[in-house]
Amino acid sequence: MQLDEYGEARVQRLLAEHDGVTEQGITVIRREGAVVLCGMVESTARRDDIVSLVSREFPEVTVVCDIQIAPARPPIEAEELS
Amino acid sequence: MSTPIRVAAVGDVHLDRDVVGRYRPALADLGERADVLLLAGDLTRHGTVAEAHCVAEEFGGLPVPVVAVLGNHDHHSDQAPELIETLRGAGITVLEGDTFELDTPGGRLGVAGVKGFGGGFAGRCASAFGEPEMKAFIRTTSDSADRLAAALAKLDCDLRVALTHYAPVPDTLVGEPLEIYPFLGSYLLAEAVDSVPADLAVHGHAHAGTERGRTPGGVRVRNVAHPVIRQAYSIFELSRSAAPR
Repeated sequence: MQLDEYGEARVQRLLAEHDGVTEQGITVIRREGAVVLCGMVESTARRDDIVSLVSREFPEVTVVCDIQIAPARPPIEAEELS
Repeated sequence: MSTPIRVAAVGDVHLDRDVVGRYRPALADLGERADVLLLAGDLTRHGTVAEAHCVAEEFGGLPVPVVAVLGNHDHHSDQAPELIETLRGAGITVLEGDTFELDTPGGRLGVAGVKGFGGGFAGRCASAFGEPEMKAFIRTTSDSADRLAAALAKLDCDLRVALTHYAPVPDTLVGEPLEIYPFLGSYLLAEAVDSVPADLAVHGHAHAGTERGRTPGGVRVRNVAHPVIRQAYSIFELSRSAAPR
């Protein structure tokens, strides 16, 4: 089933306002028969929570996950501001 | 070439118990790489005291001073005073219209910080007009910008850094939907940065934005939101001669 414009808004608000998720940095993209979630989060568990929440609340929509985990490695170099 | 002042910075770490320890390995040699670590807000997910303890655990006890501002997430549970108390208990300096100064081998560094707020940017910004809610919205931003300008002016140091959560310029928002720019920052913050001026402005909040920008006055701006920098922190080396006035 196609997610309409109101549905897209509901997904966006759900991600920000649901206490278990509180993500404002996820982009919601409507595609034919699917919704694509893009962005970057701090852990695989948080990514999985986002996908399962949207899948649960919108069972008629196929959820495609394009959410990455933000790397926490040390920087390779400094930026010289001169 | 003179010794630079080395500023490490990251924002939007959104700590909770589930990710405690993620940053710690990358912070192991921070003392050799930086003079100070700045945290540009959204330290927690829901703004609870329990999450503040996670921040204290992750960023407390480092070999360099840690200086933070709060972000919008840190206000979500209406426990900001308790959050600040918890962070300060762990030795983390939290700024909201306050200043922090530090002597480094590269000179005296000053940091002025506020959370900031939204409103948008020149030509497309909200005004203090109409409903009380609208006036209150803009007053929140202008009061915050005034506190930032006053704090910057108070600094007695070689190099000044403005630390905010919200963005002072639209340059570092590129990648975000244009429609939400007014919720991501305000030109009033840039005006405060330019009023002294600062030598560098650091912010977070815009996860889909870009790293680099400048204020209308020419001050360098860096968006250090963790999803933008894609590393545990960035390091900026500032020299006294580098002041981009």
